[in-house]
Amino acid sequence: MDAVFRFALRLTGERERAEDLTQETFLRAFQNWDKYTPGTRAKSWLFTICRNLFLRGEDRTRRQREILSEVVDEDPRNVSRESTVFLAVRDRDPEGSFWNEVVDDEILRAIEALSEQFREVVVLSDLEGLSYEEIAGMLGVPVGTVKSRLFRGRRILQERLYEYAASQGIVRRADVGTASARTVDGPIEDESV
Amino acid sequence: MTSERSTPHDSGPVSCREALERVFEWLDGELDPELAREVGEHLSVCAGCFPVLSFERSFREALRRIPQGAPPSEDLRKQILASLESAGLRPPQ
Repeated sequence: MDAVFRFALRLTGERERAEDLTQETFLRAFQNWDKYTPGTRAKSWLFTICRNLFLRGEDRTRRQREILSEVVDEDPRNVSRESTVFLAVRDRDPEGSFWNEVVDDEILRAIEALSEQFREVVVLSDLEGLSYEEIAGMLGVPVGTVKSRLFRGRRILQERLYEYAASQGIVRRADVGTASARTVDGPIEDESV
Repeated sequence: MTSERSTPHDSGPVSCREALERVFEWLDGELDPELAREVGEHLSVCAGCFPVLSFERSFREALRRIPQGAPPSEDLRKQILASLESAGLRPPQ
Protein backbone atom coordinates (compact mmCIF):
# COMPACT_ATOMS: atom_id res chain seq x y z
CA MET A 1 0.00 0.00 0.00
CA ASP A 2 2.86 2.37 0.80
CA ALA A 3 4.22 2.24 -2.77
CA VAL A 4 0.79 3.00 -4.25
CA PHE A 5 0.36 5.90 -1.85
CA ARG A 6 3.81 7.29 -2.73
CA PHE A 7 3.00 7.03 -6.42
CA ALA A 8 -0.39 8.69 -5.89
CA LEU A 9 1.31 11.47 -3.95
CA ARG A 10 3.72 12.06 -6.83
CA LEU A 11 0.81 12.23 -9.25
CA THR A 12 -1.44 14.49 -7.21
CA GLY A 13 1.06 16.47 -5.16
CA GLU A 14 -1.44 16.53 -2.30
CA ARG A 15 -1.61 14.12 0.60
CA GLU A 16 -5.39 14.15 0.94
CA ARG A 17 -5.98 13.53 -2.78
CA ALA A 18 -3.31 10.84 -2.71
CA GLU A 19 -5.09 9.02 0.11
CA ASP A 20 -8.39 9.16 -1.80
CA LEU A 21 -6.69 7.92 -4.94
CA THR A 22 -5.00 5.08 -3.05
CA GLN A 23 -8.29 4.00 -1.54
CA GLU A 24 -10.00 4.08 -4.92
CA THR A 25 -7.11 2.13 -6.47
CA PHE A 26 -7.42 -0.73 -4.01
CA LEU A 27 -11.19 -0.82 -4.35
CA ARG A 28 -10.88 -1.00 -8.14
CA ALA A 29 -8.14 -3.62 -7.90
CA PHE A 30 -10.20 -5.93 -5.72
CA GLN A 31 -13.22 -5.48 -7.97
CA ASN A 32 -11.06 -6.52 -10.94
CA TRP A 33 -8.89 -9.10 -9.27
CA ASP A 34 -9.83 -11.66 -11.96
CA LYS A 35 -8.07 -9.42 -14.51
CA TYR A 36 -4.76 -9.59 -12.71
CA THR A 37 -2.31 -11.87 -14.49
CA PRO A 38 -0.57 -14.10 -11.94
CA GLY A 39 3.18 -13.98 -12.30
CA THR A 40 3.23 -10.31 -13.31
CA ARG A 41 4.29 -7.69 -10.84
CA ALA A 42 1.35 -6.60 -8.70
CA LYS A 43 3.03 -3.26 -8.04
CA SER A 44 2.97 -2.19 -11.68
CA TRP A 45 -0.62 -3.44 -12.08
CA LEU A 46 -1.71 -1.32 -9.09
CA PHE A 47 0.25 1.66 -10.42
CA THR A 48 -1.54 1.29 -13.75
CA ILE A 49 -4.95 1.38 -12.05
CA CYS A 50 -3.85 4.33 -9.94
CA ARG A 51 -2.61 6.29 -12.94
CA ASN A 52 -5.73 5.57 -14.98
CA LEU A 53 -7.96 6.77 -12.15
CA PHE A 54 -5.85 9.88 -11.76
CA LEU A 55 -5.93 10.72 -15.46
CA ARG A 56 -9.67 10.22 -15.58
CA GLY A 57 -10.07 12.91 -12.95
CA GLU A 58 -7.71 15.37 -14.56
CA ASP A 59 -8.54 18.26 -16.81
CA ARG A 60 -7.34 16.75 -20.08
CA THR A 61 -7.10 20.04 -21.90
CA ARG A 62 -4.80 21.51 -19.29
CA ARG A 63 -2.70 18.35 -19.23
CA GLN A 64 -2.37 18.25 -23.00
CA ARG A 65 -1.31 21.89 -23.09
CA GLU A 66 1.34 21.23 -20.44
CA ILE A 67 2.69 18.23 -22.33
CA LEU A 68 2.83 20.10 -25.62
CA SER A 69 4.67 23.06 -24.16
CA GLU A 70 7.31 20.83 -22.58
CA VAL A 71 7.72 18.79 -25.75
CA VAL A 72 8.39 21.96 -27.71
CA ASP A 73 11.02 22.95 -25.16
CA GLU A 74 12.62 19.54 -25.39
CA ASP A 75 12.78 18.95 -29.11
CA PRO A 76 15.02 15.87 -29.42
CA ARG A 77 17.08 17.63 -32.06
CA ASN A 78 18.22 20.00 -29.31
CA VAL A 79 19.27 17.25 -26.92
CA SER A 80 22.88 16.18 -27.14
CA ARG A 81 24.25 12.80 -26.14
CA GLU A 82 26.34 14.35 -23.43
CA SER A 83 24.58 16.34 -20.76
CA THR A 84 24.98 20.10 -21.23
CA VAL A 85 25.51 20.24 -17.48
CA PHE A 86 28.36 17.75 -17.77
CA LEU A 87 29.89 19.93 -20.46
CA ALA A 88 29.56 22.95 -18.18
CA VAL A 89 31.19 21.34 -15.13
CA ARG A 90 33.58 18.80 -16.64
CA ASP A 91 36.69 20.91 -16.09
CA ARG A 92 35.98 21.50 -12.40
CA ASP A 93 33.85 18.54 -11.33
CA PRO A 94 33.84 15.87 -14.04
CA GLU A 95 32.51 13.19 -11.69
CA GLY A 96 29.50 15.27 -10.75
CA SER A 97 30.19 15.12 -7.04
CA PHE A 98 28.14 18.30 -6.64
CA TRP A 99 24.97 16.21 -7.10
CA ASN A 100 25.61 14.87 -3.60
CA GLU A 101 25.37 18.39 -2.22
CA VAL A 102 21.93 19.03 -3.67
CA VAL A 103 19.35 18.50 -0.94
CA ASP A 104 16.70 15.83 -1.38
CA ASP A 105 13.83 18.30 -1.04
CA GLU A 106 15.15 20.29 -3.97
CA ILE A 107 15.41 17.13 -6.09
CA LEU A 108 11.83 16.26 -5.20
CA ARG A 109 10.67 19.77 -6.06
CA ALA A 110 12.41 19.54 -9.41
CA ILE A 111 10.78 16.17 -10.12
CA GLU A 112 7.38 17.54 -9.17
CA ALA A 113 7.91 20.49 -11.51
CA LEU A 114 8.42 18.21 -14.52
CA SER A 115 5.53 17.90 -16.91
CA GLU A 116 3.48 14.78 -16.43
CA GLN A 117 4.92 12.69 -19.23
CA PHE A 118 8.48 13.14 -17.95
CA ARG A 119 7.62 13.08 -14.25
CA GLU A 120 5.89 9.73 -14.41
CA VAL A 121 8.76 7.89 -16.09
CA VAL A 122 11.34 9.43 -13.73
CA VAL A 123 9.23 8.52 -10.69
CA LEU A 124 8.54 4.99 -11.91
CA SER A 125 12.15 4.29 -12.89
CA ASP A 126 14.30 6.25 -10.47
CA LEU A 127 12.11 6.32 -7.38
CA GLU A 128 10.12 3.10 -7.71
CA GLY A 129 12.65 0.96 -9.57
CA LEU A 130 10.34 -0.35 -12.31
CA SER A 131 11.91 -1.70 -15.51
CA TYR A 132 11.45 0.04 -18.86
CA GLU A 133 9.20 -2.80 -19.96
CA GLU A 134 7.00 -2.52 -16.89
CA ILE A 135 6.71 1.24 -17.36
CA ALA A 136 5.89 0.81 -21.07
CA GLY A 137 3.17 -1.68 -20.16
CA MET A 138 1.73 0.72 -17.59
CA LEU A 139 1.69 3.72 -19.87
CA GLY A 140 0.65 1.83 -22.99
CA VAL A 141 3.63 3.11 -25.00
CA PRO A 142 6.61 1.40 -26.69
CA VAL A 143 9.77 0.79 -24.65
CA GLY A 144 11.57 3.24 -26.96
CA THR A 145 9.22 6.00 -25.82
CA VAL A 146 10.01 5.22 -22.18
CA LYS A 147 13.75 5.47 -22.94
CA SER A 148 13.28 8.72 -24.79
CA ARG A 149 11.12 10.31 -22.08
CA LEU A 150 13.41 9.13 -19.31
CA PHE A 151 16.42 10.51 -21.13
CA ARG A 152 14.79 13.89 -21.61
CA GLY A 153 13.25 13.97 -18.15
CA ARG A 154 16.65 13.36 -16.57
CA ARG A 155 18.25 16.00 -18.76
CA ILE A 156 15.63 18.59 -17.72
CA LEU A 157 16.19 17.66 -14.08
CA GLN A 158 19.95 18.01 -14.47
CA GLU A 159 19.61 21.48 -15.91
CA ARG A 160 17.18 22.66 -13.24
CA LEU A 161 19.21 21.18 -10.39
CA TYR A 162 22.38 22.63 -11.82
CA GLU A 163 20.74 26.07 -11.84
CA TYR A 164 19.78 25.54 -8.20
CA ALA A 165 23.28 24.32 -7.30
CA ALA A 166 24.83 27.34 -9.02
CA SER A 167 22.44 29.74 -7.27
CA GLN A 168 23.39 28.21 -3.90
CA GLY A 169 27.11 28.38 -4.63
CA ILE A 170 27.39 24.58 -4.62
CA VAL A 171 28.94 24.70 -8.07
CA ARG A 172 30.38 27.58 -10.03
CA ARG A 173 28.11 28.65 -12.82
CA ALA A 174 29.10 28.20 -16.42
CA ASP A 175 27.06 29.02 -19.47
CA VAL A 176 25.13 25.78 -19.98
CA GLY A 177 23.56 26.96 -23.20
CA THR A 178 26.80 27.58 -25.01
CA ALA A 179 28.82 24.64 -23.71
CA SER A 180 30.07 22.72 -26.70
CA ALA A 181 30.20 18.96 -27.02
CA ARG A 182 33.11 16.97 -28.28
CA THR A 183 33.10 15.43 -31.70
CA VAL A 184 30.67 12.59 -31.00
CA ASP A 185 27.99 15.06 -30.02
CA GLY A 186 24.90 15.14 -32.18
CA PRO A 187 21.15 14.98 -32.06
CA ILE A 188 19.50 12.11 -30.25
CA GLU A 189 16.95 10.28 -32.33
CA ASP A 190 13.51 10.13 -30.83
CA GLU A 191 13.04 6.41 -30.29
CA SER A 192 9.31 6.83 -29.86
CA VAL A 193 8.73 7.18 -33.58
CA MET B 1 38.13 -1.85 -15.28
CA THR B 2 41.63 -1.01 -16.37
CA SER B 3 43.87 1.26 -14.38
CA GLU B 4 44.91 3.18 -17.47
CA ARG B 5 42.33 4.62 -19.83
CA SER B 6 42.82 5.13 -23.51
CA THR B 7 42.07 8.31 -25.34
CA PRO B 8 38.57 8.63 -26.83
CA HIS B 9 38.25 5.85 -29.36
CA ASP B 10 35.79 4.53 -31.87
CA SER B 11 37.42 1.20 -32.50
CA GLY B 12 36.01 -2.01 -31.01
CA PRO B 13 32.45 -3.28 -31.10
CA VAL B 14 30.96 -0.14 -29.52
CA SER B 15 31.79 3.41 -30.61
CA CYS B 16 31.86 6.44 -28.30
CA ARG B 17 28.66 7.58 -29.95
CA GLU B 18 26.81 4.37 -29.13
CA ALA B 19 28.31 4.10 -25.65
CA LEU B 20 27.10 7.60 -24.79
CA GLU B 21 23.67 6.90 -26.23
CA ARG B 22 23.41 3.80 -24.07
CA VAL B 23 24.85 5.12 -20.82
CA PHE B 24 21.50 5.44 -19.02
CA GLU B 25 20.34 2.05 -20.28
CA TRP B 26 23.60 0.56 -19.07
CA LEU B 27 23.27 2.16 -15.63
CA ASP B 28 19.64 1.05 -15.45
CA GLY B 29 20.58 -2.56 -16.25
CA GLU B 30 18.37 -2.52 -19.34
CA LEU B 31 20.80 -3.82 -21.96
CA ASP B 32 21.02 -7.45 -22.95
CA PRO B 33 24.06 -9.16 -21.40
CA GLU B 34 26.29 -9.13 -24.49
CA LEU B 35 25.67 -5.47 -25.32
CA ALA B 36 25.93 -4.54 -21.63
CA ARG B 37 29.37 -6.15 -21.49
CA GLU B 38 30.54 -4.30 -24.59
CA VAL B 39 29.14 -0.94 -23.54
CA GLY B 40 30.45 -1.38 -20.00
CA GLU B 41 33.89 -2.21 -21.29
CA HIS B 42 33.95 0.83 -23.53
CA LEU B 43 32.68 3.20 -20.83
CA SER B 44 35.23 1.99 -18.31
CA VAL B 45 38.30 2.14 -20.55
CA CYS B 46 37.62 5.14 -22.79
CA ALA B 47 39.18 8.33 -21.45
CA GLY B 48 36.50 10.42 -23.18
CA CYS B 49 33.46 8.43 -22.05
CA PHE B 50 34.48 7.40 -18.53
CA PRO B 51 33.92 10.89 -17.05
CA VAL B 52 30.43 10.95 -18.58
CA LEU B 53 29.70 7.59 -16.96
CA SER B 54 30.91 8.87 -13.56
CA PHE B 55 28.86 12.04 -13.92
CA GLU B 56 25.65 10.25 -14.93
CA ARG B 57 26.14 7.64 -12.21
CA SER B 58 26.45 10.35 -9.53
CA PHE B 59 23.30 12.02 -10.82
CA ARG B 60 21.33 8.78 -10.90
CA GLU B 61 22.48 7.89 -7.38
CA ALA B 62 21.35 11.32 -6.15
CA LEU B 63 17.86 10.59 -7.49
CA ARG B 64 17.77 7.12 -6.00
CA ARG B 65 18.86 8.14 -2.52
CA ILE B 66 15.75 10.26 -2.01
CA PRO B 67 13.93 9.00 1.07
CA GLN B 68 10.57 7.34 0.52
CA GLY B 69 8.75 10.08 2.38
CA ALA B 70 6.17 9.86 5.11
CA PRO B 71 4.02 6.72 4.91
CA PRO B 72 0.26 6.98 4.59
CA SER B 73 -1.70 7.33 7.78
CA GLU B 74 -2.89 4.25 9.63
CA ASP B 75 -6.41 5.57 9.08
CA LEU B 76 -5.98 5.04 5.34
CA ARG B 77 -5.36 1.35 5.84
CA LYS B 78 -8.52 1.12 7.95
CA GLN B 79 -10.53 3.13 5.42
CA ILE B 80 -9.44 0.83 2.60
CA LEU B 81 -10.39 -2.28 4.54
CA ALA B 82 -13.73 -0.70 5.45
CA SER B 83 -14.48 0.27 1.85
CA LEU B 84 -13.63 -3.24 0.65
CA GLU B 85 -15.86 -4.71 3.30
CA SER B 86 -18.77 -2.43 2.48
CA ALA B 87 -18.42 -3.36 -1.20
CA GLY B 88 -18.57 -7.04 -0.24
CA LEU B 89 -14.97 -7.61 -1.29
CA ARG B 90 -12.37 -9.65 0.52
CA PRO B 91 -8.62 -9.53 -0.04
CA PRO B 92 -7.55 -12.54 -2.16
CA GLN B 93 -5.74 -15.30 -0.28
